[in-house]
This record gives sequence, structure tokens and C-alpha cells, in this order.
Amino acid sequence: MITKLSDIFERIDTTQDRKRIAVVAAHDENVLDAVTLATKNSIVDAVLVGDREKILEIADAHQFDLTGCEIVDEKENIDAAYTAVRLIREGSAHILMKGNVDTPTYLRPVLHGTEGLRTGDILSSIAIFELKGYHKVVSLTDGGLNIAPDLKTKVSIVRNGVFFMNCLGIKKPKVAVLGALEFVNEHMTATIDGALLSKMAQRGQLKNCIVDGPLSFDNAISADSARFKGIESEVAGDADVLIAPNIETANVLYKSFVYLANASPAAVIMGASVPIVLTSRADTETVKLNSIALAASINLQ
Amino acid sequence: MIKRLSDLEQYLRERNVKTRLVVVAAQDANVIEAVVKAKKTGIVDVTLVGNKRIIEDVFARHNYELSGMEIIHEENDTLAGVTAVKLIKEKKAHILMNGQESYFGASLISKPILDKKDGIVKGKTMSHVAVFELEHYHKLVAVTDVAVNISPDLKAKAAIISNAVFLMRRFGIETPKVAVLAAIEVVNDKMPATMDAAMLSKMAQRGQIKNCIIDGPLAFDNAISEKSALHKGIKSEVSGDVDILLAPDIETAGTLYQSFMFFANAHVASITVGASAPVVLTTKLDTLETRFNSILLSASTYLK
Repeated sequence: MITKLSDIFERIDTTQDRKRIAVVAAHDENVLDAVTLATKNSIVDAVLVGDREKILEIADAHQFDLTGCEIVDEKENIDAAYTAVRLIREGSAHILMKGNVDTPTYLRPVLHGTEGLRTGDILSSIAIFELKGYHKVVSLTDGGLNIAPDLKTKVSIVRNGVFFMNCLGIKKPKVAVLGALEFVNEHMTATIDGALLSKMAQRGQLKNCIVDGPLSFDNAISADSARFKGIESEVAGDADVLIAPNIETANVLYKSFVYLANASPAAVIMGASVPIVLTSRADTETVKLNSIALAASINLQ
Repeated sequence: MIKRLSDLEQYLRERNVKTRLVVVAAQDANVIEAVVKAKKTGIVDVTLVGNKRIIEDVFARHNYELSGMEIIHEENDTLAGVTAVKLIKEKKAHILMNGQESYFGASLISKPILDKKDGIVKGKTMSHVAVFELEHYHKLVAVTDVAVNISPDLKAKAAIISNAVFLMRRFGIETPKVAVLAAIEVVNDKMPATMDAAMLSKMAQRGQIKNCIIDGPLAFDNAISEKSALHKGIKSEVSGDVDILLAPDIETAGTLYQSFMFFANAHVASITVGASAPVVLTTKLDTLETRFNSILLSASTYLK
């Protein structure tokens, strides 16, 4: 079980059996920086799928050490994406990572009906944070993929989130379904879904977790705040997973953690047969490296 | 806490409950029979609004004791309803009863009750509560709503629960256990009954609905049998010990009510609550016992 973010590095198999990351459109300075740092630290080996010339050029210019990196030459991004997914299906790569490619192109082969990587109902993006003032790591979902999830989609998001925490050794994560307030309000879908998801966990429709919601953010992370409001909840003040009602809430919360609370999260996409790394240009090297390490540390089987 | 409807009379008498019942269109032999019996308990005084000549004739024919019965002569049934509601509003009477026992006669009292200016509902939801004594259940159990709310939305369901909780608390059940019924015990987004049930559970947990424990969705078997619930893997404080069954709609409630009556040898008392006074609304199919029980149940709303 991990309690701080640096624990994910302890969980990684750095022996000869270490995992291989397939980078789609690897001709990108920031991504190559993070990937070569990861290979240097034996976190992963890498297959760089992309424009070979550009990759070599960038590595040369920035003196990135390509030891432990295989290059597969693909000039077109869509071809690079399909090739990387094929490598994963063949078992010669174990993590997918986004390079200099737009997200729809990157995910298209992942979502392919017969040749793709999808295992769950949906893909969802999960970020894990270590925050000063909170006693353990906490995950936040979904700030990246699902825009305005309905109940069914939220069920899948919760399942992905719970499975993710299970993979990190947290057997029965506490899930807080966020709303603007902690009451059921028929005009606020988020509060309705919060109540429904709680009941679904109670009835075993969502397994291996305790769900409570609606909870406003303060009640989710502060037991004092919940007590002050008279909320009796196993989850309040001890949440492992925060389920945001929509992408805006998750995204704003993510960025407020990063920009105002000095957090350096790690993020992956769940719902596929392997962890998928989809960092953005705005993410720091640390976040990229953390995310590679996170992907390497979780075993989806 | 009482376990049988037949204990109601003693329970009320020990607590010195004294109320006045006003009957609208009281010229009905069945209703008069029940009213006479209720008056004998000393728990209710009676005002009969209706055709005085017919009322006195019924009393004479059955040798009922007429002394102490207040009769207000009113040949027009509609005006009788208005008069009775006025007595309630002026706090001269405390229980309203419909003498014209027909499914279509309810408007006699519902109209004046609901009247915006002179009525006795102050923005609250009225609902019907039937309290059953069943041979194979260890305590009284309420079913709601078989008569007033046809297809209640979430807000109405919350109010219906609160009304029933208020009633059951009169019997000393501090925190009644409420089962929100559905066809299944899991949340299904195609079955609104299951979604409302999950929300109502949470609303009780968060104190939005007070003084009760709510669990739902529960199928009927899970609600009344702990064994059945455990078999389904349901851990619930409510299962097997339910005090109030909330039906998703009037059809479900009505069917359940009638199956209790026809197949389970049930005893029942039923009233409508939510107005400033309880309303007894029996039908021609009801027995003397049901009418009598319903009057006493109404009186019990005045228990502290």
C-alpha cells in the first residue's frame, strides 16, 4: 500500500524484467527528456515509435541518452499510434505513452473494436496526488476524458478508480462523490448521482469500495468539516478517490492542486489492458516522470 | 409501543386522549355504527353534520344512544363538508370523517379541505397511511400511499415518508424504519423507483428527512424478511424490521393493501394525514372494525 507518491518508485520492478513503454510520436523534446530519464533510472525500457531522424536530432541536441531505447521508424503519427498498440497487443510493450501527437489520433487505435486495448466499458483519466495537509495519497477522476458523465459512465469511472487503487495495494478504497453540497437536491444531478452511487456500493453493484456522496470537497477531505456539518460517513475526511461530477470540476481541482498546493501528481488512463500515459505539454518533467513510474508500478493483471 | 390495533383503545385511554370527531354527510348507517362505538370508548366526542331526520332515524332503528351526540342539520352534502372543515379550522373539532362512503364521494371533503382560503392544508403534502396488523409479522406496519398521491415524485415521496414517520412516532417508535419498495433491491437507471429509493436513503442519512432510518430500493421480501435480505447479500437495518413501507405509486400500494386484506387476514386502520387534522376516509367495503380502528388511529395523532 502506498501512502506517499514516492512509494510508487519502490514498487517498480527495475530488474531485467522491467516493463517497456511504447511512446507514440516520440519526436518531442519534453517527452524524450522524461522517457530517457526513466530509462536511465531503470524504471522502464522504451520503444520510441516516431520519426527516427527527428528523434535522433532532438536527442543529439539535448544530449539525451538513448541507451535502453529502441526506435521504430514511423513518419505518420497515425501509423505510429497503430504500431505502438500492436506492440502492446503482441506483448513486447507494456505501457503506452503519448508524444507529439494529438489525443484523438493517439487514442484511435486504443479504442479500435477488435485490434484495440479496451477492457472496461470506458477509458477514464485518473491523477494521484500527495498533498501537504492530507494524510495519504488521494486520486482524482476524471479531469481528462469524460466530459459530462451520466450515471452509467460514472459507475465505470468509479470502477476504474477503485481498480486503480486496488492495483496500488489499497484493497477497499473510500470513494467520495463530489457535489456542490452534501444534500440530495433534485435540481443538482451531481447530488443525485452521489446518492445513487453510494447505494450501488452498498448493494454490491460497485465492489471493493466504500462510496459516499454527495459530499462537498471540504467534507470529503476533512473529518472536522464533516463533523461540523453533522455528516456521519466512513468516507468523509478519509477519501482515497474523489469522483468529480464533470470534467471542468476535476480539471480545475487538478490544476488548483498543482498551481496552488505545489502538488506534482502522477496520472494514467485506466480502462485498457495496459496503463496509458497521456500527459499534456503543460505538465512538468516531474509529472511526466511520475506518470511513467506510476504506469510501471501498477500491474493490471 | 403497541403491537396490535386492538391495543389502540387502551393505549389512548391511558394517555388521556380526548378529541372531537366531525362527520360529513353523517346519514349513513355503517358510519354511524362505527361512530357510536368510538364514542363509547370516551376517546372521541362526536359532531354529526348531515340530514338530521335520517340520522335520528338510524339511531332509533338501531337503538343507539343519541344523548351526547351533537347533530348539525345540513341537507346539502357539499355544504356539510364546508361546515365540518370550518369546525376543524376553528379547532372546535379535531378529526374529520367522510360519511358518504364511495370512491367518488371523497370530493365532498377534499374540496373544502383543499380550498385555498378556507381549507386546512397549509402548503403541506397530504397522504394516506394504512397501519396493518398482520398474522405473520411481529409488529404493526404502515403502507403508504394507497389513496391520495398517484405517482409521487421525489419531493412528494419525502413528504409522504415524513407523514408516516410522524404517525408511527405517536406509538412510541422513536426512529421508525422505512423501506422504499421497488421491484428489485439494486439501483437501475431504467427504474425510477430504485433511483428515488437510493436518494431517499441518502436524504435520511443526511438529515433531510428526520427521525427515521430509510433503506431502499428493497423488494417486498427484502423489506419484511431479514432472511430473504441476507440471502440476497443485503445488510440493512431496515430489512425484516420495517415499520413503514413506501410504495412507488398508488397501484403498488393499493395492490399490496388489498392482498393484505384478502389473503393475510389483516387488521387495518387507515387515515389521511398532512392537513391540520387527520381525515378518516373509509369505503363501503370496509368493516366496522376498520372504521373504528381508523377513528382511533386518527385520535392517536394527538398523542404527544
